[in-house]
Order: sequence, then structure tokens, then C-alpha cells
Amino acid sequence: MGLEYVRITTGFEDYMPKDYVDLVKYGQFGKEYDIQDLGTFKELVEEHPMCAGCFMAYFIRVFYASLPNPEDSIVIGTAGCARLQLSQAAVPFIYGNYGDTNAVASGLKRALEIRFPDKNKDVIVVAGDGGLMDIGFGMTMHSWFRRERFTTIMVDNEVYGNTGGQESGMSPKGVQLKMAPKGKKFDKINAVELAKAAGCVYVARIAPTNPKRLAKTIKRAILAARHFGPTFIHAYTSCNIEYSIPTEKVLEDARNREKNDFAFYEWMSDEVKGFFEQVETKKKEAQEVK
Amino acid sequence: MPEQKVVDTDYLLLEAPRERKFITGAQAMAEAIKRANVDMAIAYPITPQSEVMHLVGDLWAQGYLKDYYRAEEEYGAFSAISGAARGGVRVFTATSGPGLLRGLEAIASWPGHRIPAVLGVLTRVVNAPLSIQPDNIEISYLLNCGAVVLHAENQQDTFDFTLAAFAIAEQVDVYVPVAVATEGFFVTHAKGYVNMTPEDMKLPPRNPYKAPVPPTDNEIPPARIQRDAPVQKSNFMSYLIHAVWQQEVWASTTRAMKYIYKYLGGPIEVVNPDAEVFIVASGCAAAQSREAVRYAQLEGLNVGLVKVKAIRPFPEKEIRKVLKNAKGIVVPEHNIVGWLAREVKAAIPNNDRVVGGPRVYGGMTLPTELIMDEVYKILGVKKERKVLV
Amino acid sequence: MKRYNIRLAGVGGQGVVTSAHIIGNAMSNSGKYASLVPFFGSEKRMAPVEAYVRASDQPIYEVGEVIFPNVIMIYHPQVITHGKSYTMPFYSGLKENGMVIINTDVNILTDEDWKVLEELNTKVIEFPATKIALELAGTELATNMAMLGLFFGITKLVSQEDIEKAVRERFLGNTFVASGGTAALDSAIEKKFKKKVELLEKNMMVIKEAFKMAEEQGWVEEEQTAIA
Repeated sequence: MGLEYVRITTGFEDYMPKDYVDLVKYGQFGKEYDIQDLGTFKELVEEHPMCAGCFMAYFIRVFYASLPNPEDSIVIGTAGCARLQLSQAAVPFIYGNYGDTNAVASGLKRALEIRFPDKNKDVIVVAGDGGLMDIGFGMTMHSWFRRERFTTIMVDNEVYGNTGGQESGMSPKGVQLKMAPKGKKFDKINAVELAKAAGCVYVARIAPTNPKRLAKTIKRAILAARHFGPTFIHAYTSCNIEYSIPTEKVLEDARNREKNDFAFYEWMSDEVKGFFEQVETKKKEAQEVK
Repeated sequence: MPEQKVVDTDYLLLEAPRERKFITGAQAMAEAIKRANVDMAIAYPITPQSEVMHLVGDLWAQGYLKDYYRAEEEYGAFSAISGAARGGVRVFTATSGPGLLRGLEAIASWPGHRIPAVLGVLTRVVNAPLSIQPDNIEISYLLNCGAVVLHAENQQDTFDFTLAAFAIAEQVDVYVPVAVATEGFFVTHAKGYVNMTPEDMKLPPRNPYKAPVPPTDNEIPPARIQRDAPVQKSNFMSYLIHAVWQQEVWASTTRAMKYIYKYLGGPIEVVNPDAEVFIVASGCAAAQSREAVRYAQLEGLNVGLVKVKAIRPFPEKEIRKVLKNAKGIVVPEHNIVGWLAREVKAAIPNNDRVVGGPRVYGGMTLPTELIMDEVYKILGVKKERKVLV
Repeated sequence: MKRYNIRLAGVGGQGVVTSAHIIGNAMSNSGKYASLVPFFGSEKRMAPVEAYVRASDQPIYEVGEVIFPNVIMIYHPQVITHGKSYTMPFYSGLKENGMVIINTDVNILTDEDWKVLEELNTKVIEFPATKIALELAGTELATNMAMLGLFFGITKLVSQEDIEKAVRERFLGNTFVASGGTAALDSAIEKKFKKKVELLEKNMMVIKEAFKMAEEQGWVEEEQTAIA
């Protein structure tokens, strides 16, 4: 159904809020836009209460603009900064309990497969480093072990931003944060390698400095999950508040991290690789025919 | 998988023919699941619950359920249950003592998320020290979650309550989870007679659109509450939204009472309503109390029983009425805190009539003789029991 | 009204829990009532095992271990002589006018035991169950059959056909087995016999012998009202 429920019932166009009418008329439902057209179409999320200069806010904007089928997508989040923005989008969002995202997504995805065996319904977890790698670690890992068919995107700001700046497992070693008054004693968790070892079929690490590449990575992660198994994106989305990054230096910081420990990395199973080659060749052919 | 035909809920629960079988409590719960048209079950092992979820797994293997898996641990299992319920399918899981506590955060959020799941609670000691025996203290933690809580006395109750639980949970004016508790081992691993509806009949499937909060399935606009966490509004909005939402949740739980009357014949069962002394008990303690009433009869004592089937919503009105003229009230329990005695004391006037006990804990049986000792005390009967201990 | 609250005590490997199930199912087959509770601990071969059965011709509501039994069945002499028991002494909790059945060839009770049991007006039956099992079935694994056979031989609660049906259900039917240990024991017993039918026949021979012995020894109970 998907599109049916977003479409405005005939005769009601004049009475629906303008934002909603614009979303249906000029938005992403049932259409595919290029990320470089950002700004020319009505976006799924336009308002958010994130801090000025928040890189995570930018990431989530690109994330929504990259959804291959927003009318058939459900986003799942947990406590943390991300959900403040995720919950404002025109895509169904589930906010459960602390760190439960990947368990909720497992149940939801299976339920949707039972009820709609012939449809693609994309389930995407967007949660922070604390939610996925600390409190929800077991559920994250086990959803991968079970090869659940949904995408997990970790927006890693290396800190518990929303609760006031406490150390997380993803904070770099040595950083002094609340609850680590003498500095963090152990290394940043290697989430990408864990995801590979646990059975993800598509794994990427990215500092969102290049929107085109980011959009492609997000689309790939969602499509691969639809057909093959769990997928994971580890995205660097700095916290300019807790890490005292001046607003105008946020992008520069990301570029620096990209040069050091956040170089773009993409890994996929042979099966997924073959699938994308096929899809992308078909796309090219279609464009050439045009 | 044997062919099953969908029949009307009221017909299946109230009128369908029944056949008598001699089975364990675990089997009784699984037999109810077989007839409940459950889509999906999620399991995590813990003694004594595991028997139930093994049998439900077999039902999935036979084709009665569409999906089933062994989860990572209880919090993961119960969170996945809430995800699946939001996806619109009918779900079931079961646990025991420590498992219930491990997953309690998820369970406590089910009513607020309007998850009409059915949860089996096969009671067990909560550590420490470690024991696997049936002590039902975990039920006390469940009482403040907003869920409907039923307490089964025996294998028959376990079958009836579990099947009815789905019908109650999915009523539009209820739509909160229903927990069906019964004692581990004493009921789960022991056999009793169960009159069961035909194997080839099942409940109608869940209709997720007949709901106060719709499913999240991209087929219908989602509920606003699921999108906007109240905390990101002003403090006042946050307070207000939470307050009205929880009021509605608890009102929904209360509204379950009319379906408890319809499907389970009411929240209490009374034996000998004109008794001088009443025993008020739930679960296995009610079974022991039934024996005590029999003993009393043989001894010419006027003793009655109030078996409490529904712990939430708690039948305050009904209990107050029955106990109006009781000289004394004995509340035997399988736990140290006496959660049922607290409920009874809070419900009736002159509550110094309530004897909170006997209580056994750690999972031992509750000897009828101990209940009788309290009855004798109230009635001023001097009794010497000649038994070697 | 007859009401028996039975405590069965033996050691791991004797099929104590299995015989509790058979007693329960035989009661059910005869249209009467029974409830049983196996003791669930970490059961090991030759470690103490207890099971509890309530049997009556009236409905039974009570559940859980029998703390105050009126029948105690001791499946292995070591329960008494070596204290291989969760309940010490073996007669603790026994009610007045009860019955104790002990599997032994010789008297293993002390003078003090006898005195206590006499004070409670207990019917004490020393019964060579293992000896009978070895003689008739060729295996001591049929001890449990002799014990349950004698119980029914004394009480006449059910017919031999009701018992046979219950034994058949247990070993030949696809009945629910609650414990992995019990399932392993069942298959060990099966291996002893070439055919399951042979197993059933031998077991029934043992049970019939126990019935006969109850008659011969004058142990059969008079019709009575047993209030547990």
C-alpha cells in the first residue's frame, strides 16, 4: 500500500496543512531524487531541535533524502540526540526503550514479512554509539548473528550527548569526559570489524564529508538488507558541544578524522557485490536508452 | 499441519465442545497457543518456563505459528515482542522469576506502547540464593506495570486463561498486555485434567486496525505518540502527555474487567459464600485452600474460599462484598512479601481481620495443614496434630 | 472416600519418577483422580530422588510436595540405611494410621524406628521388590513396577488393565517426558529388551506377582475412609 496512505483523499487537498500537501506534491514519496537536488524538493524532515552546528543533524537530513522508499520505510531509534530529529520526520518512527532498537527491529521486520510477504518494507535503525555499542550491545550483535534483514546505522558522536557528555564505548582512548574524569582507559570499540564478524552482509564506515557518497552508501545498506541480511553503517557525526568544535570547524574536523581513523571503508559479501553490479549496470543501460 | 478452521471468539471460548485430557500445565498453555491463531512467538530459556516455549516451538515446526526464534535474553525477547506486535501480528512469550525481572523494563512499557501481547509467567524464585522452585514473588513486580494479570490455579485454568488472554488483550477498549501466571513445577510439570476445545478450531486472526493505536506498517498513518517523545516538548507538555496517556492505560486495564466476567466467569470464585472464616488465595495457594475447605467441612467448621483469578484489575468491589461479614480472613501465599494480603487489606474495611499467612517461600509446597492452623486460631479451636517432623 | 498422599523415595536410576507417572496415569485410566509432583533437583544415578503422588476417587486440588504423607514407599534400602533421602528420618511427616512400604529382603529398621511407627499405628510392609524384579523380569530396573504393583495390590484403587494401559502409554506411547534424564532412562530400559512388547510383558509379570503377594500376605486394605 505505502503510497496509498500518504496520498490525500480527493476533496481534502484544500483542508490539509500546506506542509503536508507540499510533501505529497513535491516530496520524495514515490519518486527518486538525486542527493545533489537537495533543496529543490520538499524534504521528509525540515525542522529539528538539534544544537546549532550539529553534524548529526546534517547526517540525518541526508539520510532521509537518501531513503529508496520512504513511503514503505520505518525508522527505529532509541534514547539519544538522533531521536530528537528522527521523530520529526514524515516517516513512521518507533522510539522504544533504552538500547532495544535491534530487538524491536527484529520483531517488526519479521512481523511485516509475515503480513506482507510480497512487499518490501524497509526497517532502519538509526541509533547512537551508546545505544548500539553499550546498552544495546547484546541485542545489536544478536540481530546480526541471526541475520535479521534490516539496516543498522550508528551515528557515532563518541559521547552520551543527550545526557550531558558522558564517556561511551566509542569515545577515543584518553579523552576526558564525565564518568571518565581521569580520561577513557580503553580503545574505541571496533564496530566495523564486529559487524563483519557477526555476519553483516554490507558494512561501511564513513565520515559524511561527501553527500553523494553518503547517499549511495545509505541506499546500498538499505537495499542489501532488503534482499540479503543485516547491514551496518558506522558514521562519524561529531558532537560539537561536548568536544568543543567551533561550528565553522565541524566539517574541517570531519575531514581531519577522515584522514586519520574515519577513512571511507566499504565491505560487502560477494553475493551483495554481484547484486549491486547487476542493479547499477541496469540503471546505466536505462539512462543510455533515455 | 492439521487443518484448523477459524471460529468466532465467543463460540470458541464459551460454547465449543470440550474434550478431557490428562496433561501437564506446560502442555495446557501450549495447547491454548495452538488454538489461539498466534503468528509469532519468541523464546528464551529459563527453568521452569522452558517446557512451555519448547512445546510452542514444536507448534511452529508443525506449522501452527508463522515465526518463532530463540532470543538473546529476556530484554531482547520482550523488546522484539513489542516490535512484532507493532508490526500487527499476534505474539506470545513466556518466562519465569529472574527472566521476568530481566525483561521487566520492556514489559512495563508494553501497556504504554499499547502492545496486546500475551505473556506466560511460570513462577520461580527470584535470586538470591539461587533456586528454581516455584515461589511467586515475581508477580508482585508485575502488578505495577499496567498489564492485566491473571493467576491460574491449575492446568485447566492455565488453558482457559491463556486462550481468553488473547481475546481480552485485543479488545479495542482494553488493548494492553495480559499476563497469565501459574506456579512452576506444581502446575507446569504436574498433570491435571483439562477440558479442551477441539484441536481443529482456532481464534480469528488479529486485526491490527481494530485498535486504539494502529500498527506501524506503512499502511495507515502511525499514532502521533509513537513519533513525538513528549520530553522534547515543554516540561508541562511532557507531564501532561504522559499523565493522560498513563491514565488511559490504567483505565484500559480496568475495562478488562467486563471481559474477565464474560470469558472467565468473573475475577473471583467463591466457595461457601456464607462462611464464618474465609481463605482468600490465588494460583496454587487456591488449590491448597480448596483442600482446607474440604478438611474444615469434615470437621464441621464453616470455612469458605475466595479464589482470586484476576490480580489486575484487582476485584476490590467483589472481594469487599464477599468478606463483609467474615470473622477472619486467611491469605496463604507462595512468597515472603505477601502481595495478595496487601491487596486484600487495602480493599476491605476493618482489615485487622486479615491474617497475612501462612506463607511459604523458596518454592516449597504450602501444606493444607498450615492453612488449617490459622483457621483453628481464628475460631478458637484447640487442635493437636500428631505428626512426626 | 479413599485418599492417599504418597511420598516415593528412592535413588536415581530406579525409575521412581516414572512409577509416579504410571500410578497417576493408571488412576486416570480408571476414571479416578491423581496428581503428582516429581522432585526436581540435580538428579544423578544413585543420588536421592523423591516424587509425590496424591490419589483418590474424589477430585484432588492440592499440589506440591507431600509434606504430611499417609503412605511412604521406599524404593531402595539405602534410603534408610545410608540416609540417601531428602527427608530424614524417612518417616518424617508421616500421619497416624498410615502405611510404609519398604523394598528390602531383611528387616532394616531399628528398634527405635519400630517403636515410633507403632506409636503412629503404621502398617509397615517389608517387600522384596528388587528380588521379584530380578527373578521375573531379569533386571532390577523393574523394581519400580513391583513397588507400584504392590501399592495397587494393597489399595485396589485400579484394575490390572488400568495399570497395563498406563505402562504401555509410558513405554510404547509418545507421552510427554519432562526431563531429559527420564528419557535417557527409558531408552536404557528399552535396550535391555529386544522388543518393547517383551518389556511390557515382563513388567506386567512383575506387577501381577506383587498383586498376588498382597493377597497371600493379607496386606489388602479393607474398604475404609482415608482422610489425608
